[in-house]
Amino acid sequence: MTTSTEVVTGADRKGSATRGANGHPTEVAAFRDVSKEFGSVKAVNGSSFTLHPGETVAFLGPNGAGKSTSIDMLLGLKDPSAGEVTLFGGTPRQAIMAGRVGVMLQSGGLLPEVTVRELVTFACKVHPRGYDVDEVLTTAQILDLADRKVDKLSGGQEQRVRFALATAGDSDLIVLDEPTTGMDVTARQAFWSVMKAQADAGRTILFATHYLEEADAIADRVLVMHKGRLIADGTAAEIKARAGQRRISFDLHPGDGGDASLLNALPGITALDVSGTGGGQTVRISTSDADATMAAVYRAGLYPRGLEVAGVGLEQAFITITAEAAGTEAN
Amino acid sequence: MGQLIKLEVLRVLRNRRYLFFTVVFPAMMYFFYSSSFKNQMFDGISYKTYYMVSMATFGTVGAALNTAMRISLERKSGWTRQLRLTALPGWAYVLSKVVAAGVVTLPAVVVVFAMGAFQGVHFPVSTWLGMGFAVWAGGFVFAAAGVALGYAAAPDTVQPITMVSYMGMAFLGGSWFPLTGGLKTVGQYTPVYLYNELAKYPVNGVSVGASQIAGLAAYLAVFAALAAWLYQRDRKTV
Repeated sequence: MTTSTEVVTGADRKGSATRGANGHPTEVAAFRDVSKEFGSVKAVNGSSFTLHPGETVAFLGPNGAGKSTSIDMLLGLKDPSAGEVTLFGGTPRQAIMAGRVGVMLQSGGLLPEVTVRELVTFACKVHPRGYDVDEVLTTAQILDLADRKVDKLSGGQEQRVRFALATAGDSDLIVLDEPTTGMDVTARQAFWSVMKAQADAGRTILFATHYLEEADAIADRVLVMHKGRLIADGTAAEIKARAGQRRISFDLHPGDGGDASLLNALPGITALDVSGTGGGQTVRISTSDADATMAAVYRAGLYPRGLEVAGVGLEQAFITITAEAAGTEAN
Repeated sequence: MGQLIKLEVLRVLRNRRYLFFTVVFPAMMYFFYSSSFKNQMFDGISYKTYYMVSMATFGTVGAALNTAMRISLERKSGWTRQLRLTALPGWAYVLSKVVAAGVVTLPAVVVVFAMGAFQGVHFPVSTWLGMGFAVWAGGFVFAAAGVALGYAAAPDTVQPITMVSYMGMAFLGGSWFPLTGGLKTVGQYTPVYLYNELAKYPVNGVSVGASQIAGLAAYLAVFAALAAWLYQRDRKTV
């Protein structure tokens, strides 16, 4: 069972972010065996994890994995059906009242009929340690939009305003629920470079995403959720290794020579499927090390035609990891 | 807290629909009524006074009930969620709506009263102020109703419910024409009727309008309780 792992990454890093609250100086947030049921549906099923100061953590999982429900519980918007959620050693509400948490919601949450500047000013003023409005607008790169009405913005611009609301004051934890949804690649890169500055300032960052690449590029630590369960908790590299399968396919023609039976001895292979006879064979391989596998194919004297190497989609990766998790549970 | 109220007032005053339904429309109706009835009297009150009061209350009720639509929309858009993630206390949102309703009902009262004075309605200054205060204070009963409605359902349901209850209450409250007979038997217990009666206290022969105050207080208690209950229900389901 991997759901209760507490990987201490980054706890000793950027110690300045620690405000030593309530005798839990190294604990920003904690889930202790938390579950949430909606009727008969278990949206979150017994998950436990701890966030440490200065970490940038990705909450990774497909839609409906329980990420948003977990974030809602973390922020006190929903109460868990079982288990305990703490933020800075107290209740989520206490942490929010103390201005320790900045939040960027997935969608909505913006007020129409006001200008960007009016909305952000409001956020700065209600934050117990709010920043200067112009500073926040500049950081979020929306100074040029300041006098626009909030309801007249494009999707990407709206996201930047939401980001400004989340960074309107000196918060210790910033929570972002799928912040780059609807952004194009350029906007996404710009967004993360701004976010990186927040992390470098020593803040703890938790973001939900269903992009594996995003988690890989940004996070020190990745929590993988699937069907309400926390099925993996580790560095991006560790998760990638588990999910980093490649699929290789090619055809072998009898006239090219080589012994197809050698395929069974290839390194890195996790699955092998050979179909067709006589006139030619189609080979499909799943491997954890595509480079080594292919090098071995050539070394064996085989002549692969129509070679294709494809990364396993995140969907497939989750199936792989979930299957592992299910196996672990059964033991 | 002050910030949220400021933002609310700004938004409502910028809203053209608000301006039309609560200020322009009642003022137009008043102009229409006062020109068609000239100096006729009803029950010892000139129609000019009668409609001045009922159009001022009509605008005020409209502004107050407008709160319902806004709350419902903002629940849907996630703004109420976003506010719960700020250091503001949970009740600040509802309070800001009620206070903003209190502020934005003032133009509705002032414009119609000014037209009344222009049409030749005469009162001592203290009476003007007293009537103005009665219309303004009575508006909070409907602001409470607006909050309750706003938490009751989604925007597409809330809008027709608000319109129907707004028009229905104005009709039964004698805002469009003085009630007689069977209509009055029913209408005299409705909130807008009590509200119109209270606001006409100087010309009604009623000294302070104690029974109207009691009636409106009862409605306020019911609407506020309903609003509180629906608000709690909403916070559990966000």
